[in-house]
Amino acid sequence: MSQTNTTTDAIPHEIERFNIIFRLQHIILFTTFLLLSFTGWGLKYAHEPHGASSILIRMWGGADMAGLIHKIAGVGMLLDFIWHVFYMLYLLATKQTEIKARTTVIPLPKDAFDALQNFKYFLGISNEKPRFGRYTYLQKFDYWAVFWGMVIIGFSGFALAFPMVVSNIIPQFAAGWIWDTFALMHSDEALLAIVFILFIHFYNEHLKSEVFPMNWVWLTGKISTETLKHHHPLEYELMFPDQDKKEKGE
Amino acid sequence: MSYKKVLFIVAPLLFLSLMFPQKGFSEDTANCLACHSAMKGKVQTPSGALIELNLDIDKFQASVHGSLSCTECHIKFSDDPHTAPGAPVSTFVLAISSKISSKHLVDPIAAAACSDCHEEIYRKVLDSVHGSNITVKKQKDGALCLDCHGSPHYITKADKSESMVSRENQVETCGNCHEEKIIIEKYKLQENVMKSFKESFHGRKLYLGHTKAPTCSSCHGAHDIKSKTDPASPIFGKNKLVTCGNCHPGANERFIPAITHAHTHPIAHYTEKGLILLTLGTFAFIILHVLLDAFSEIRDAIFRKRREEE
Repeated sequence: MSQTNTTTDAIPHEIERFNIIFRLQHIILFTTFLLLSFTGWGLKYAHEPHGASSILIRMWGGADMAGLIHKIAGVGMLLDFIWHVFYMLYLLATKQTEIKARTTVIPLPKDAFDALQNFKYFLGISNEKPRFGRYTYLQKFDYWAVFWGMVIIGFSGFALAFPMVVSNIIPQFAAGWIWDTFALMHSDEALLAIVFILFIHFYNEHLKSEVFPMNWVWLTGKISTETLKHHHPLEYELMFPDQDKKEKGE
Repeated sequence: MSYKKVLFIVAPLLFLSLMFPQKGFSEDTANCLACHSAMKGKVQTPSGALIELNLDIDKFQASVHGSLSCTECHIKFSDDPHTAPGAPVSTFVLAISSKISSKHLVDPIAAAACSDCHEEIYRKVLDSVHGSNITVKKQKDGALCLDCHGSPHYITKADKSESMVSRENQVETCGNCHEEKIIIEKYKLQENVMKSFKESFHGRKLYLGHTKAPTCSSCHGAHDIKSKTDPASPIFGKNKLVTCGNCHPGANERFIPAITHAHTHPIAHYTEKGLILLTLGTFAFIILHVLLDAFSEIRDAIFRKRREEE
């Protein structure tokens, strides 16, 4: 995942943060996410407010078409997720990436301290911003939220889309409540996912003054070393240890 | 003659033609309608019932019964408005009218007259849970033709959106009684059937115009509707396998509970409560985070500038 570039003294203007495969996975993820959100919202709020959902559903070609889009997008998203998991396992197995405290996306105790420090900074108690590694605690939250969503929404969605298949798997004693549970899980957690993306992701990657109108890394995969140094100092130091020493020496 | 002059003669003639009764009615029907299309309001019978006097000609003509003459259903009446109703009635219609007299106090003959053309369906209805409520239990609120189809003067085909039993209106029509508190309490009906249907995927899809979404009658039947405790009901016990299987081929016993009118199971209920707590907790955290972040950004923008200036 991370490119280390310690052999040369010259610091490149920008480095690749996400390769083409990650970028593709992200594009598929947000495309399917938007399709699922729009078509699913109309069904969740079918009876309110006063026919607005009917208009939303008609924009997607009516209830039959919206349902089809929702199912295709759902399967697409699940496949995208599986692709990502296997790709990560492949990278780990072939040692193309390794788990390091500074670059891993796995939550560590440091993230809790970072969050605390960030809140102190927000409130003006401290002047020091937390020093982040490759992923900030919020980015890790964002990443694992997708996993949570995939397990809760993905599985329940699969059951609701293919009930005949799933009815052969579920045990008889659960048949009385599991379908309602699937439907409630699917709809409640989908709302959570939409609101989460609308607030955290849109604010941090679109609205924030330094990235407005968007953080172009989704398209180019590149991050300038200046931004990296500013926002992910621990990763920067890991990537350019010589440069870092030089700067500290001066 | 100039073109304009012709127009001056033709236009009033065209207008006049609008004022004459429309064609399409037989003479005796036109006789009745001459008054009943103009009369407004209701008249009270000796038994205290209110009878609507007005008939909307346009709607009547557009209905499936538009070509019938009045006396085909209002059998006892004759074309002469000045004679008292007393024309002979067939024994078949009389027999039915006596069965339904607990419901149709005013003119059971007219209500039974539907059987003249719709005999088979009428028999089914009288055998159904709706009909037997009238014929056996002698109640007045069992559903009969008019309760679901509306006035026979204005009945349209079921696939027309204005029909009371169309996909658009059927649920509401059933709800007229099945959402009615007095009826629910009187007959000990399940009180949440309308609500649970509307909240189910079936109900949501139907409301959004899904072409394959079921209505009430898709599962429960229509004219021959049975109580859910009747073994002949399509939703009784194992009959559900067949009923659900009509749309979901291969429906098995673990599939059937997926959509019912049953109350939410406690496990599903508390799972949802837990998820709502989680959702609200996450909302609170992220909204606080974004607001504080934005606030500190604005603060930094002001202070950083000041520092650079110094």
